[in-house]
Amino acid sequence: MKLSRREIIAACGLAAGAAGLSGTVGKIVRECASSDKAEGDKISGLAPEPEFVVDKETGDVSLNPGQQVSYTVCMGCTTLCGVRVRADKATGKILRVAGNPYNPLSAARPLAMETSVKKSFAALSRFQDMGLDGRATACGRGNAIMEYMDSPLRVLKPLKRSGPRNSGRWQEISFEQLIKELTTGGNLFNEGHVQGLAELRDLQTPLDENAPEFGPKVNQVGVLSSVNEGREALAVRFWNQAYGTQNFARHGAYCGGSYRSGSGALFGDLRRMPHGKPDISNAEFVIFIGTAPGNAGNPFKRTGNLVAGARSEGELEYVVVDPVLTNADNRACNDRSRWVPIRPGTDGALIMGMIRWMLENNRVNIAYLSCPNQDVAKRSGEPSFTSASWLVITADGHARCGRYLRGSDIGIGIPDDKRYSGADPYMALDANGQLVIAAAAVNPAQILPLQMPVQYIPQGEDKQPVDIADMKLKTALQLLHEAAFRHSLDEYSDACGIPKDIITGLARKFTDHGRKASAVAHGGMMSGNGFYNAYGVVTLNALIGNVNWKGGFVMNGGPFKDVGNGPQYNLTSFEGQVKPRGMPIGRNVAFERTSEFKRTKAEGKPYPARDAWFPNAPALSTEWLPAMLRGYPYSLKALILWICNPLYGVPGLSALVKQDLADPKKIPLIVSVDTMINESNAFADYIVPDSLMYECWGWIEPWNGVPTKTMSARWPVIEPKMAKTPEGRPISMETFVIALAKAMDLPGFGPKGLTDAQGNHVSLECPEDWYFRGGANIAFMGQKPIGDATEEDLHYSGVHRMREALESKLKPDEWRKVAFLYTRGGRFQPADQAQDQSMPDWQTNRFNRVLWIWNENVGSSLNSLSGARFWGCAQWLPPGFADGSAMRKHYPEKEWPMLLVSFKSPLHNACSIATSLGVLRPDNPMLLHPRDAAEYGLSIGDIMKVITPGGTVQGKVIVHSGVMRGVVGIEHGYGHKELGVRQHVINGIARPCRLDLPAGININDIGLTDPSRGNQAVWVDGIAGSAVRNGLPAKIARA
Amino acid sequence: MKKTDPGAMLTCSSRRTFIRELSVLTFALATAPLPALGAPSTISSAKNTWAMLVDIRRCIGCQACTISCFQENAMPEGCFRTLVAAYSIRLSEQPGMQPAGTYLLPRLCNHCDKPACVSVCPTGATFKREDGIVVVNNRRCVGCAYCIQACPYDARFINPATNTTDKCTFCVHRIQAGLLPACVETCVGGARIFGDANDQNSQLRQKLRQYQGQIRVLQPQMNTTPNVYYIGLDERFQGKVEGMPALWSPQRSEGASHTGMKGA
Repeated sequence: MKLSRREIIAACGLAAGAAGLSGTVGKIVRECASSDKAEGDKISGLAPEPEFVVDKETGDVSLNPGQQVSYTVCMGCTTLCGVRVRADKATGKILRVAGNPYNPLSAARPLAMETSVKKSFAALSRFQDMGLDGRATACGRGNAIMEYMDSPLRVLKPLKRSGPRNSGRWQEISFEQLIKELTTGGNLFNEGHVQGLAELRDLQTPLDENAPEFGPKVNQVGVLSSVNEGREALAVRFWNQAYGTQNFARHGAYCGGSYRSGSGALFGDLRRMPHGKPDISNAEFVIFIGTAPGNAGNPFKRTGNLVAGARSEGELEYVVVDPVLTNADNRACNDRSRWVPIRPGTDGALIMGMIRWMLENNRVNIAYLSCPNQDVAKRSGEPSFTSASWLVITADGHARCGRYLRGSDIGIGIPDDKRYSGADPYMALDANGQLVIAAAAVNPAQILPLQMPVQYIPQGEDKQPVDIADMKLKTALQLLHEAAFRHSLDEYSDACGIPKDIITGLARKFTDHGRKASAVAHGGMMSGNGFYNAYGVVTLNALIGNVNWKGGFVMNGGPFKDVGNGPQYNLTSFEGQVKPRGMPIGRNVAFERTSEFKRTKAEGKPYPARDAWFPNAPALSTEWLPAMLRGYPYSLKALILWICNPLYGVPGLSALVKQDLADPKKIPLIVSVDTMINESNAFADYIVPDSLMYECWGWIEPWNGVPTKTMSARWPVIEPKMAKTPEGRPISMETFVIALAKAMDLPGFGPKGLTDAQGNHVSLECPEDWYFRGGANIAFMGQKPIGDATEEDLHYSGVHRMREALESKLKPDEWRKVAFLYTRGGRFQPADQAQDQSMPDWQTNRFNRVLWIWNENVGSSLNSLSGARFWGCAQWLPPGFADGSAMRKHYPEKEWPMLLVSFKSPLHNACSIATSLGVLRPDNPMLLHPRDAAEYGLSIGDIMKVITPGGTVQGKVIVHSGVMRGVVGIEHGYGHKELGVRQHVINGIARPCRLDLPAGININDIGLTDPSRGNQAVWVDGIAGSAVRNGLPAKIARA
Repeated sequence: MKKTDPGAMLTCSSRRTFIRELSVLTFALATAPLPALGAPSTISSAKNTWAMLVDIRRCIGCQACTISCFQENAMPEGCFRTLVAAYSIRLSEQPGMQPAGTYLLPRLCNHCDKPACVSVCPTGATFKREDGIVVVNNRRCVGCAYCIQACPYDARFINPATNTTDKCTFCVHRIQAGLLPACVETCVGGARIFGDANDQNSQLRQKLRQYQGQIRVLQPQMNTTPNVYYIGLDERFQGKVEGMPALWSPQRSEGASHTGMKGA
């Protein structure tokens, strides 16, 4: 029987009428907590007493003894901002959350770390108006998300399913039982034997005798996580280094993976995928393509704050190119902000149109692009350099087609084992038309040569000229030029739906501001050609040479590192450490390295592979579930889901896998570590509770957008709510893996789990062992360690709660320094050090490697389905499927006239719906252009049916001109089926559920599978392997 | 029925009869300068006169103010004393012109010098303090809602938990503690500036001077003399905003006047 909201409320002894509106969790908890229903103050009602009082004359701070204010880190979205949490000491209830004034993710003018905690409170107050400029904020979501702390929907005790998978029936079990069953296995569900994690940890036996490249059997245990929210290093230490599996993947492939991959191509690292951000405070013009500053994105608040300031009182003008109008536009700023609508998945057409115009009109920075190496660049006053002048082999039949020419290709002596390594030089063409070693050149090189020499003439009398004509060498910029000139501006304009004069106007404006212009993208790139679109956006920056310039395209400042072989402790390597080996299950390696390829090649038909491979992609959480369920490349025996929700987040995945996922024969063991039951871990066999936000540990590096070094500290500022281990510690990811390690006697954990800098063993038996020592590394990093926390700091910040633990775990000279980090919520380089002191127009933290106009790893790879070579630089390619066929070939416009686009909510993330934000924005009517609405006879409020090849949904429609014609805009974060929507029964007792939560629709429920892969996998970008949720073909009708 | 700006109601609502955060409007924004205010017109003889200046150019519509106020004041579900109304405006159908734009308007009690709510209160529950803050004594309020009808800013509503009138207090409990109102503390764009209008050196006064000629208030024709000032306030948003409510309750659009998205 379903328990209705009315009953939940009645169970708290309240009149149903009092909650007759909509009773969210927040309300239920609040009203349950205050049984006498006090009226409160006659003017201020139930508002609690302020957390402290600041004297208006002296600025002196008096704490409210009943409350605690602590600096820690939010987990309301992936920005992970530093926040100040105000808690009621007696109840542990969080009263409100705002920003940490030391933290650059939350404060426009962060406080110096030397400022005492007490003074930091005065700096937030009305005293001398300090709190206005010194404002430190939390966003709407950051304010609302605290409601989850008290949510009755949290998982607080270990759960084991007591019915079939995904039946919603659970039994609470003890931590000891959990650890025993998971490690030893057995007939756990009366469905037959299940192998435990100890048995599955086979580091020797190949998991597939016919494919030794897949590695040992331990790789059949895989871990899906979401983001590195500050605790990942410990999870990686356990799963990769101690347990030994190769398979650990984050959610990036279904988040903003296309942009990261496109950026990784320019920045030359397709695994770690470096990326830059506009220096908004100092920029004059920025084009945001598929990312909406201040509406969403990472870092959300910092970007929003900087854009708000720069467009109103600074120099910034910006354009947002997006199929959907968002809060990134602000008409009160008149033309400082502009919105240009575009057809989804056609950004490449806009960009290549701009690049074509820039090349035709001498608007690329020729002098900059001609620098073949860093030294020449520096001498020309450039803080970065590109491969624009480097020569690429383009002859079709050549074994190295698509690769850069290397010295060894033309007889420059390189030892065989160093061939094509970093020691094998890249080549360029000097002003005299001679081939020269790019790194050794002392002068600018040619980038658009009129003629390519036919011979390389080595220096030295006895050397013979080498014939190079048959390699068909071209510079990287020539290849980009070719790509840009494949289409006319009219064709580009037709493709993207942006008038030609807007394309050229954007290009002109973009090149009118020297280095104080930039272009950036993000999640809007998740289309069936996202890699090339994104590569194009970042290439725009390279063409004007703005990288590392103040006001240009700048790099993150990076962390003060906790892990690594730090100054105080070695948190990286340990005795008995496993080096995971074998191919990852997401097939992000070259097909040509597989045994399958050897067989198919021997049979004379090397392509197609059985399914797509992604040699230029990072770990692919998009591919994981279909791969393991089909057993290609191999199956998994155990899947660990750590705070992730691929079934909600990956377009097309749920419909494709949910039946198989419910079948224990396909994946015998699914274990989740999470705070809630979501659409994915509803399929788990066990759920292990995890800590939530302000009860949680972590050292957090900003994802990007902070040019100074930053490391935020998260610590349990209140007593965690989870059940305890037998040792009395709260159950969480950390205590879970520590217990697993102990049960299986794994290295790198236990009484001698860690070593200090002197090589002495110290314990790793509880979270404090790990995080405090990471803190010691952070505190002692750099030329001079940070200062000591005073007694006053400890008292004012609430860190005195941990004093005993700090003193007992750390050395006498360490503990006050680590405490100092916790009192300030992290370690932060002063904000005025963003620019280089000796070169004030350059950033301090610069990208120092080459920017790849042509990426040779991409340009030399072959499509594993068609055998065709990928193009290695930015280009306009219409959205397509994995074999390279155009989407419109399969789903013609005539039949599927509309395109769907997902856009980020300014309020919601994927799981914030169950907070008071849900009241503000309870569902997500689909956006439709007035002309489309007229064509289909739809008006505001009508119910519209949306049909894609992947499924059908229906929902309300809203009609206005803030969306591109031919497009249906769908805001993300709605259409939930779990998180409190479905009734779960635990120990035979029905848990609360929320009838209002499933409101709206989730675009991912109607995502596509890939017809060129037999519809056995979801639609992903053919290079980046990233999910496709923008530009889904659809038809619509009145429901 | 009172004609209501669909984006402007500060209220308690169920999900069924809901504040509409986004409304569709169909005109171009005026850019020509309009007669505008300078500094506060009346300086009270009291020690402080609390006031707020909202720089709309800096608002990003994140609703941090809305939720922080909700949390700070321990409001019942769905009750908001401040919110950011977001409007989507149709601008131009010309090819190459921006077709639509976003206009954001943070709203709250205007703490008027001549508050329309005070004179209609039959019990004296609603009154204006010496420091300019208009408050409601919830022990005296009988919930008659006259003030709700009288307020031209839709800033008042009945709190279902107390059955008395509720509204923004400028977080008077925090001001007295030397702190800032919750919405100001956490304004991500730095749009909300709070301070003492009597203090010539306050940032509030400095900004009012700096932007003299560009400062506007809502509903100037009502002669309520508000203490909430705006930079970037378009004249079309000074009065009732006439638009088509767009989200969440389209069936309730009868109350608002249509300016015609239909058939556009």
